[in-house]
Amino acid sequence: MISGIGAAALRIAQEVGGIVLLTGQVLRALVPRPGAGAWIDGRELWKNLYKMGNRSVPIVVLTAFFAGALMMLQAGPFVKKFGATGLAGWGAGYAVLREIGPILIALMFSGRVGANNTAELSTMTVTEQLDGLRALAIDPVRFLVVPRVIAMVAMLVALTVIGDLVALVGAAVVGKAMLEIDFSTMYYSIVDNLKPYDFLHGVYKSIAFGFAIAMSSCYFGVTVRGGAVGVGKAVNAAVVASAVSIMLLDFFLTYLSA
Amino acid sequence: MTEPAIRISEVHKAYGSRRVLDGISLDLARGTKLGLIGPAASGKSVLCKLVCGLEQPDRGEIEVFGERIVGKREVDLGPLRRRIGMLFQNYALFDFLTVEQNVAFPLEQGAAGTLSAETIAERVAARLRAVGLAGSEAKLTAELSGGMKKRVGIARATVADAELVIYDEPSAGLDPVTTQKIYDLLSADQARTGATVLAISSDVAALAGFVDEIAFLYDHRVVYRGPAATIADAPNALVRQFVRGDLEGPLDQAGPGMASLDRSIK
Ligand SMILES: Nc1ncnc2c1ncn2[C@@H]1O[C@H](COP(=O)(O)OP(=O)(O)OP(=O)(O)O)[C@@H](O)[C@H]1O
Ligand SMILES: [Mg+2]
Repeated sequence: MISGIGAAALRIAQEVGGIVLLTGQVLRALVPRPGAGAWIDGRELWKNLYKMGNRSVPIVVLTAFFAGALMMLQAGPFVKKFGATGLAGWGAGYAVLREIGPILIALMFSGRVGANNTAELSTMTVTEQLDGLRALAIDPVRFLVVPRVIAMVAMLVALTVIGDLVALVGAAVVGKAMLEIDFSTMYYSIVDNLKPYDFLHGVYKSIAFGFAIAMSSCYFGVTVRGGAVGVGKAVNAAVVASAVSIMLLDFFLTYLSA
Repeated sequence: MTEPAIRISEVHKAYGSRRVLDGISLDLARGTKLGLIGPAASGKSVLCKLVCGLEQPDRGEIEVFGERIVGKREVDLGPLRRRIGMLFQNYALFDFLTVEQNVAFPLEQGAAGTLSAETIAERVAARLRAVGLAGSEAKLTAELSGGMKKRVGIARATVADAELVIYDEPSAGLDPVTTQKIYDLLSADQARTGATVLAISSDVAALAGFVDEIAFLYDHRVVYRGPAATIADAPNALVRQFVRGDLEGPLDQAGPGMASLDRSIK
């Protein structure tokens, strides 16, 4: 029992260490160096931006809309009871922009894009494609990992901004349909009460979440061992690690800004 | 006389408790062709990766073109690796690229933009014709048969006219006629470029027609090395038995590879 906990702790420490090392390599690769070949492979970057961003929009729009709608639905009875319709937009907006939006979309993103990325990278690893790159004097971190990290951070931020807006629309629609709050009341409630910082706070979070998802999904992808079974395990580990780090980061970022 | 293309001295390599190479030494003069044979899982592929610096030995020295590669950082291995062409046993083709892009890849990346797009396209087309894959340029590698993948791998390993070419099983998965064609092509390439060649194959007869010398890897070491033409009559009884495929002989039944094979038959 105790040795089991010890072994698990050791493995976690090892993996955290590995992720930190890979992060170091990624940051170093971001500094352009003459003679080391192309800075970032444009083809890889565009492909990943498209794949990770564009194709995630529908699912993000769907979840965000209902998340916003649900916020309003839950708050509805209290708003009614106290007649605080003027504060409904502020309440929903505050929660969506600072918390629900970034975290919900990050979790969606890690399940969809992060898992996909780990599966893809780990398949490449077990089929020796990373060794194939190395044999051609190409650094797999620079060529494969860096474009993915950039694409994931950029796209999660973009999706979070889109998701925030859609969630607010969802809240307004429910407010109008069920609580008879005018769109204009809702609009001024949001604009008058929320500061740009509330929005930025969520954007900062999504940068951190995007980086965490990217690093853990790439780490488990490039360190996979043992064929198809290994790929499955890697995807599993990456999703768990992403979720845990999103929660931890969220706590610390919220704590620091409070 | 210049230094050899490859010099391996006293190299040890183990994975966990599994010994793979145990004090192996091997020299390969520039411009010569060496074949490497040995039982399954004797460490032939591992040796190829060591020469390329893709794996690090536990002990020993490896020099390629006079440059020590043991303990070197990845970035510092780059210039040397550009002089080496490598065919992986399992192809290691890039599945995010088409056949044509796979073969063009070493030219696009390696020469760091010194070649024009037309030159690259020309050389790639010529290479694909040479390995009999004209018409498959736009296919993704997942759509290819095993033999086709092997030939794409060969095209990719040879397109940049490397000074040292390592072929890990160039004829595995190819029919006898294609095998002969491929070996003819590899011979012609070598005659043209004067490259040093290290080739691994289980098809000893076809290999012997291609290389100058053959080394036999057994029991974690090179136990024999001699001219390829007379390999079937080698003075070493182990080699004779292995090459002829005799069931009776001195090959250790409990030796690497053989033991597990034996068990799986029973
Ligand atoms: N990355 C690795 N991790 C653990 N063990 C390995 C690894 N690579 C190779 N081995 C082990 O090293 C031994 C030699 O493998 P290698 O692939 O070099 O054999 P081989 O001589 O090329 O065999 P074959 O003729 O079947 O291709 C095998 O027992 C293999 O299990
Ligand atoms: Mg092998």
